[in-house]
Amino acid sequence: MNAVFAQAPNPIVRWEYFIDEWDQIQSALLEHLELTVYAVGLGLIASAGLSAIALRYRWALAPINGFTAFLYTIPSVALFGILVPYFGLSRLTAVLPLAAYTLLILVTNIVAGFNAVSPEVREAADSMGMTPTRKVLQVELPLAMPYIIAGLRVAVVSTVGIVTVAAIIGQGGLGRLILDGLRRAFWTPMTIGAVLSILLALALDGLILGVGRWLTPWAQRARRAP
Amino acid sequence: MTLLAQAPVPRDVGVFEWLFDPASWTGSDGILVSLADTVILCSVVVVVATVTMVPLASWLAHTRRGEVSVSWMVTLSRAIPTFAVAGLLVPISLRIGWGFEPWPILIALLLLALPPIFLNTYTAIQQVDPGAVDAARAMGYSETSVLVRVELALATAVILAGVRVAAVTVVATEPIRAFLGGDGLGRYVRDGLGQNNDGLLIAGAILVAGLAGLTALVFRLIEGFALPEGVRRLATTATR
Repeated sequence: MNAVFAQAPNPIVRWEYFIDEWDQIQSALLEHLELTVYAVGLGLIASAGLSAIALRYRWALAPINGFTAFLYTIPSVALFGILVPYFGLSRLTAVLPLAAYTLLILVTNIVAGFNAVSPEVREAADSMGMTPTRKVLQVELPLAMPYIIAGLRVAVVSTVGIVTVAAIIGQGGLGRLILDGLRRAFWTPMTIGAVLSILLALALDGLILGVGRWLTPWAQRARRAP
Repeated sequence: MTLLAQAPVPRDVGVFEWLFDPASWTGSDGILVSLADTVILCSVVVVVATVTMVPLASWLAHTRRGEVSVSWMVTLSRAIPTFAVAGLLVPISLRIGWGFEPWPILIALLLLALPPIFLNTYTAIQQVDPGAVDAARAMGYSETSVLVRVELALATAVILAGVRVAAVTVVATEPIRAFLGGDGLGRYVRDGLGQNNDGLLIAGAILVAGLAGLTALVFRLIEGFALPEGVRRLATTATR
């Protein structure tokens, strides 16, 4: 192997790669984004259901927390591996563990958000004659939004990081560039995959932060007020 | 090229057949060797993280320095993509001449282990009852004694919880090393995937998940025993 290195210089980044392999980079980036969106979307739907159960039936909170914490401690390599015999090297095998890891933070924050709504506000909504559905959607959900957004940011950022691991089962977006580079001992795709996945995490974090601010303008006014 | 030299594993072994076969555990690529490989690397990471972060964080918290950085670090600690970081470090490590193993994964895992230990130590010491600290000072304790005998003692439970989180995260993440040119306990998942051998794959996943669960259990036990006598009495009276 050393002889190969001596013959062909193998810089950490070879800039021509961006032009030559742009299609590859683009499709890897897109796949990374798709896996993240599917996983967090699925996680959000499941968390909404679990949180609704936990908020409606108090006794269910502890078992739900225990279950999501248990899922979170399963190593990603093990979880990806164990699903392969059942679902193959498919996108589903990648998305299910990724979604499972988001449950802990999302359920915790959704429940905390709804619990933080003050009883006076609930009573005011009741005395205005709001139906339970309207109360949840128009009063409690907006007030819980900062907590949900905070949870979503952590979930998205950590999911972008774990998506790279899904490269071991042939998925994994930018993680695939990392593995391909490693297999061929060609460092440029590795560097690009690693750096782009970190940048993607930062970009999505900023995006959700912006959307959260746009959704809760009153929270910004409160912050600016002395 | 090394793939051909590997011991021929029969296709589609039974999961438990393989796990309970003594031959799988012994030998130069047996489970025991891989397990030792993983445990040694993870221990080095957790020990280095603990002996650097606990003194640093407790000193910063004791002198009330660096207040702003904490919330920023919480986000950062969740955001570290270990696989990408280790992947990025492989070419750099080779360039410096440190080789494939174990530096890239070691440094990547270290980055993963530092934040929980730092954060727990920092917040635990910050939240020690100022009354207790003032009482110790009034009794003539030196600043070092205040830090070691009062603040650190009262913070022990939370610090150990931080070390547990770091250890479990490190053990759960270490298997990616098998996909980055190394071995360790993750190798059976890798080989199972590579050889299309579902039995080996599931057995490997069980081993990896089992070690992570065992780590959490061991640290829970340590937390139970390692609490200073006075603090334990305090905790039991508080819960009564």
